[in-house]
Amino acid sequence: MNSAYYPIAVFFAAIFTNNILLTNYLGMCSFLSVSRELKTSVGLGIAVTFVMASTTVLNWLAYTYILIPFGLFYLRYIVFIIIIAAFVQLVEMIIERTSEGLYAALGIFLPLITVNCAILGVSLFMVIRDYSLLTSFFFGLGSGLGWFLAILAMAGIRQKLVKAKVPAGLEGAGITLIIAGIMALAFMGFSGMITIS
Amino acid sequence: MISKRMKKTFLTPLGKENPVFVQILGICSTLAVTNKLENTVVMTLGVLFTTMFSSFTLSLIRKFIPSRIRMIVETMVIATFVIIVDIVLKAYIPDVWKQLGPYVGLIITNCIIMGRAEAFALNNTPGLSLIDGLASGIGYSYVLLIIAFFRELLGTGTLWGVQILGDWWVNWSIMIMPPGAFFMLAIFIWIVKETFMTEKKEASNE
Amino acid sequence: MKKDGFYALRIYPLVFMLMVTVVCISIVTGLFLSTKERVEANEGLFLRKTILQAANIPYPDDFREVTALYEASVTEVSDGQLYYRVAQPDGSFTYVVPIEGAGLWGAISLLVGFTESLDELTGIGIFSQNETPGLGARIEEEWYRMQFVGKRGPFVLVDEGMADAPDEIDAITGATRTSLAMRDIINEAVTLGPAIVRGQ
Repeated sequence: MNSAYYPIAVFFAAIFTNNILLTNYLGMCSFLSVSRELKTSVGLGIAVTFVMASTTVLNWLAYTYILIPFGLFYLRYIVFIIIIAAFVQLVEMIIERTSEGLYAALGIFLPLITVNCAILGVSLFMVIRDYSLLTSFFFGLGSGLGWFLAILAMAGIRQKLVKAKVPAGLEGAGITLIIAGIMALAFMGFSGMITIS
Repeated sequence: MISKRMKKTFLTPLGKENPVFVQILGICSTLAVTNKLENTVVMTLGVLFTTMFSSFTLSLIRKFIPSRIRMIVETMVIATFVIIVDIVLKAYIPDVWKQLGPYVGLIITNCIIMGRAEAFALNNTPGLSLIDGLASGIGYSYVLLIIAFFRELLGTGTLWGVQILGDWWVNWSIMIMPPGAFFMLAIFIWIVKETFMTEKKEASNE
Repeated sequence: MKKDGFYALRIYPLVFMLMVTVVCISIVTGLFLSTKERVEANEGLFLRKTILQAANIPYPDDFREVTALYEASVTEVSDGQLYYRVAQPDGSFTYVVPIEGAGLWGAISLLVGFTESLDELTGIGIFSQNETPGLGARIEEEWYRMQFVGKRGPFVLVDEGMADAPDEIDAITGATRTSLAMRDIINEAVTLGPAIVRGQ
């Protein structure tokens, strides 16, 4: 657990063997609604990865240096979600003022992110599993990239699927869930790739 | 006295506008624990409680909330109720609380709760909002309970931890693993949509 | 228009937010403080139950009875490293040693029970773990824990439901990493445990 490779192992585990979307079902709402097009998925994926990696670090600092010393750990849900919301708002303001291109590409996704359960989920997992700051950062980054990978793959498949004939009852969410199930099966094949010890 | 409006408020989220299979909202936090019926029951009760009372509270103070900070007030109220659920579970059923881990906290980001607050509670009276919250919660819960029922039964041959199926049963391990939940939910949505859609077609033919 | 004034736009939202925050935090803090004792009692009770599990002594559901049984049979020994000495109903003495190791996601901390001769296990009890719910977290289930009773390490893993020989333990289907981690932790305990009891 204390080996120097541990953060790296957690990083890869979060992307492949324990993909936050495919094994913990976090971030399903935006996954189902935004995965129709490749372009929008890329935008959302980048935004999620960035916010996830940053907020795990911020939340770790708040948890370790404010909540724990003052015995306020039971307030962590409120504190985490507000840090996430404030961070997202801040990022939105900064890129709105500095880069028009980036704002056009990512701006619309940012409000969606605050309610993305995966972001809060990563922070909560980090606390329960007692990760160090470095491990938390890699865990956040890996989870974000894992989520990105899953939505990217799904969008690619769904774009091809437009031409396919799907039973009426399965159109939309139904078929997406079945594909997600098959993807989860495929990702299970990664287990054994990484040993955390 | 039950007015027509109350009845309608209660019934709509159970069927035609069920949050899970029509709007596909809010499955994230609970789907992960549907491989055991007991955990699912506790989790859905937590969601039910949070949806009801956060809708009620937000509706009570709806006229005073400045619209610019609406979202953050909603988040605050929801998070408070989730912490209440978390503390109560930790104090009274610590075994289940331990198994649920971070998923109780993730009720905060359940889209249904925020969705009902935004779409209903901010424009309706507290009483109606409470009913709407209750109905949305039930509409959400029963779908997940059905999924949990089949996942635990087929995956381990047990229900609520008690062996139901005999020795002849070979456990479908895939059911308790992550892909099982995706397949079960898809099949469930498929069955429901087929039934609903044929009804609609018949209705339009008349 | 008053609605667009400085007060309505800047001050009021701030005051309102502050009020909501104060109310929410007071409610939560009140609830936390009022359940604090109960939560601590739960944790203490849980440790006692886990120790009894590792010693393979069946325990009742009632809070007071567990405490009475625990106090009657378990003695804490802490010369050097902490372990527990357990008086079995048949008069013999067994030992329970706390062990911690890395699971898939975080630390697994458990208690491992040894017979008087320290060469067989009397059982294990899981104190805390962060494994995947429904998969790796099944190490807490009775069937998994009970398979260690009367076994002799070091152990090898076999498929779920296939363990037969005294050095074989069932893996959990779908939780390969957790099963491997448990095997390693317990194999380490098999050598470390007796050393702690003998005071080495």
